[in-house]
Amino acid sequence: MSDRIFGAVGLCLALFYAWATLQIQESFLSDAVGPKTFPLVIAVILGLSSLAILLKPDPDPVWPGLARLAEILAAAVVMILYAEFLPIAGFLIATAFAAAYLTWRLGTRPLQSLVVGVATSIGIYVIFKLVLGLSLASGPFGF
Amino acid sequence: MAFKLMRAAIAVAALTVATGASAQECIAPANPGGGWDFTCRQVGKSLQDLGLIDKTMQVVNLAGGGGGVAFAEVVNKRNDDNELIVAASSATATRLAQGAYPGNTMDQVRWIASIGADYGVIAVAANSEIKTLPELLDKIKTDPTSVSVAGGSAVGGWDHLKVLIAANAYGIDDVRSVKYIAFDGGGEAVTQLLAGSVQAFTGDLSEAKGFVDSGDIRVIAVLAPERLPGEFSEFPTAKEQGIDAIGANWRGFYGPGGMSDEAYNEWADKIGKLYASDEWKQVMAANGLAPLDLQGAEFQQFVANSVQQIQDISRQIGIIK
Amino acid sequence: MDTLISLADGFQTALTFENLLLALLGTFLGTMMGALPGLGPSNGVAILIPLAFTLGLGATPSLILLTSVYYGAMYGGRISSILLNIPGDEPAMMTCLDGYPMAKKGMAGEALSLSGIASFVGAFIATWGLILLAPQLVKFALLFGPAEYFALFALAFATLGGVSSTNQAKSAFAAMLGLGLAVIGVDTQTGVPRLTFGEVHLYDGLDFLVAIVGLFALSEVFIFLEHRHGESSASGAKVSVGRLTPPWKMVKETTPTMLRSSFLGFIAGVLPGAGASLGSFISYSMEKKLVDRKGTFGTGDPRGVAAPEAGNNAAAGGALVPMLALGVPGSGTTAVLLAVLLSLNITPGPLLFQNNPDVVWGLIAALFIANFMLLAMNIPMVGLFTRVLMIPPRILMPIVAMVSFVGIYGISGSSFDLLVMIGFGLMGWVLRKLDVPLVPIILGTLLGNTMENNLRRAVTISNGDYSVLVGSPLAIGLWTVAIVGFILPLFLGRFVKARMHARRDDEGSIAD
Repeated sequence: MSDRIFGAVGLCLALFYAWATLQIQESFLSDAVGPKTFPLVIAVILGLSSLAILLKPDPDPVWPGLARLAEILAAAVVMILYAEFLPIAGFLIATAFAAAYLTWRLGTRPLQSLVVGVATSIGIYVIFKLVLGLSLASGPFGF
Repeated sequence: MAFKLMRAAIAVAALTVATGASAQECIAPANPGGGWDFTCRQVGKSLQDLGLIDKTMQVVNLAGGGGGVAFAEVVNKRNDDNELIVAASSATATRLAQGAYPGNTMDQVRWIASIGADYGVIAVAANSEIKTLPELLDKIKTDPTSVSVAGGSAVGGWDHLKVLIAANAYGIDDVRSVKYIAFDGGGEAVTQLLAGSVQAFTGDLSEAKGFVDSGDIRVIAVLAPERLPGEFSEFPTAKEQGIDAIGANWRGFYGPGGMSDEAYNEWADKIGKLYASDEWKQVMAANGLAPLDLQGAEFQQFVANSVQQIQDISRQIGIIK
Repeated sequence: MDTLISLADGFQTALTFENLLLALLGTFLGTMMGALPGLGPSNGVAILIPLAFTLGLGATPSLILLTSVYYGAMYGGRISSILLNIPGDEPAMMTCLDGYPMAKKGMAGEALSLSGIASFVGAFIATWGLILLAPQLVKFALLFGPAEYFALFALAFATLGGVSSTNQAKSAFAAMLGLGLAVIGVDTQTGVPRLTFGEVHLYDGLDFLVAIVGLFALSEVFIFLEHRHGESSASGAKVSVGRLTPPWKMVKETTPTMLRSSFLGFIAGVLPGAGASLGSFISYSMEKKLVDRKGTFGTGDPRGVAAPEAGNNAAAGGALVPMLALGVPGSGTTAVLLAVLLSLNITPGPLLFQNNPDVVWGLIAALFIANFMLLAMNIPMVGLFTRVLMIPPRILMPIVAMVSFVGIYGISGSSFDLLVMIGFGLMGWVLRKLDVPLVPIILGTLLGNTMENNLRRAVTISNGDYSVLVGSPLAIGLWTVAIVGFILPLFLGRFVKARMHARRDDEGSIAD
């Protein structure tokens, strides 16, 4: 069943891809092949392979329960927040929080998670910023 | 050696400490290793060596959108930062002219100064029967499909525009008919010239230098106002062949639009001093940069003209409406 | 003979205390950056340029430092591939396929040291190739016009079928997904933006590093979250790392593989635009085609570890040929090295060997030195690397995730890239559940643009005539190998192999 849904989604994706390709504004200046040919070929093969998946599905994988699924989504949300707050809060703070959260959700005790999170953050800061000299986000306190 | 390493470690540490305070910052709108990154790092280093700035310049890479992400960041978030400069080049002007930074125009920032220019060249393979620029353009005029011109930039990019400027000056009305093939960088384009896949090459002098020295390719025109100094003086300009086409890939800096006049003048002055130094002369020689000595209002005007010219030709070939 | 004298001179230049120290520093930092997901050889070299400037190094010492980083990163990428199933950089992607299964079988130590030896062999052969064949190879590279490149990439995709999946439809789906993602951005042949939906961040296209780190590293984190209370990770699975050096028999068995792969990888490296990823990919798929009679590739076959590692290190050496002799970077890393050369007032190109022999031969000598150093450093350190497996996943995985974020953010400074990476992470998780192979996606994003551009260049140059694609003996040869060697067997052999494949699938599926 999973593969049938996957195939159907793939088919929709191929259709959307073809549609989006047709929306490309061509300039007056075009080469012999044009900007649409290659993506259209991709869309066709994408559609055909989706159809094949839909018609000949593999056995279903084991999907996690709702609770686990929520766990994964929550982690993704935390990562998104991390990406958004990184330039605002600065590297050390944002990273310590995100790392502590992930450590906690992977089954470490809360207090220990916090310690691990802070240690991870400082460790990465030392390697990437002080040793390799990359410019990481500096927040209101300069780190 | 150990001492040198130690010094480097201290320098790196100092750099880190300096970020907290308001150190001068240079945004390179691309990943490390590219042209803009080099502009920032080299100028930062030279400014410090000359004692024009007291702390190490902090170089920040902000890639994306062909410089558009950095431009938007400066306009929207850092508009009144006096300690910030951003590396720019003809590519920046080209994209601004063609509206490739959505919603941004060149007058939203202040153009500070140039640090040199790389003049465009048009070249053919050494064994080609074409000897001069008019011969090449004549061939294009009679049968555009017979000549493929290779360059390192995308269609509508600077390498492409240079050959169109020349074609336009020669009197080819429909410059769109010029067959331009875009490669990933000038080196690849030159290689395909050697391999015989294409008939002509448009690019920067620095990209072609190695092959000119070895005698594999022949420069038929330099798009400079007059002959270049030194070893490059043997190349004819387009102008002396009767084609009034100039194409310089300049390098320089802009700063935020809200930068105070005082800070603006100070930056322009510093980069002017840098330009005049012997150290910078060496850097320019090493990088094949030709003279382009403009600061402050002069540079602002230069960029404005350049944007206008690119806009005209882009409109003509239909890249913009 | 001249060559040997020049080489001796080169060693004289390179063998100073300062240069050796730089090589040591470079190989160490390079290995570290190669192993960290998100930082690959090209970024690694770029990051260290300021260090070379700050130290005020001359041309030869700078190049020694930076090429040591380059070779080191090529070595380092395999470490996280084998231990964590996360490629440290894109060429190490293929090493996951057999390296991680080996580690799961309790042979992490053997896998690491064997791949270290394979890396050494690949790099060693490539360096000799660079010395002896550079001028001839340049002529060979000039045989490749746009049409030939297109055929070469088509060949690479044709070999995909055999490599990583049992369900060919899913393999094809993944490859098209990768190619489709590569299309995003401003089209270089016409200057129009494609599939960017007005988003300025997408104008430059998606960075494949973002894709690879998201698909491999973040999806791994999600898989651990999914199984937290499950069997696999709760208490930090006690993994045995096995012996730290490979048995002599294993080295002997894999020697022919290493030699063949080194040769193939070197050739792939010499062609500008193909680079190390293609080198390791082609080495793996060809080797599988040649020697995998029992279907053990993908389940922890030592030859499946030796092939891509010898291949990608040989390609790294090969990529220096067009950079030095033509001034054309064959890969992202050599592009950065080229910029360094230019800023040191050295013009690469046909005359480099005559004009700056000290630089060239010093560099080549440095490559040998770095390579021996890396071997000497990597084999004893296998024990140290495998300690990583002792860290319980609940602590290790968040570190992996954060390192991935920092690697990407530190280079591009863009939160947008991080969001895209998270998207890739979720997508990678779903695709893994559905048993869709990830390798074709990465291959597609890596090669998609070059492939399309070469197609369009070829056809535009011939004024719209598509027959140019089979217009030279070389192109016809490549197409023949692709079709006879890989496409036809797929259709002919699929019924025979179907059962065998199904069984292998159960064993070979990753992590979950």
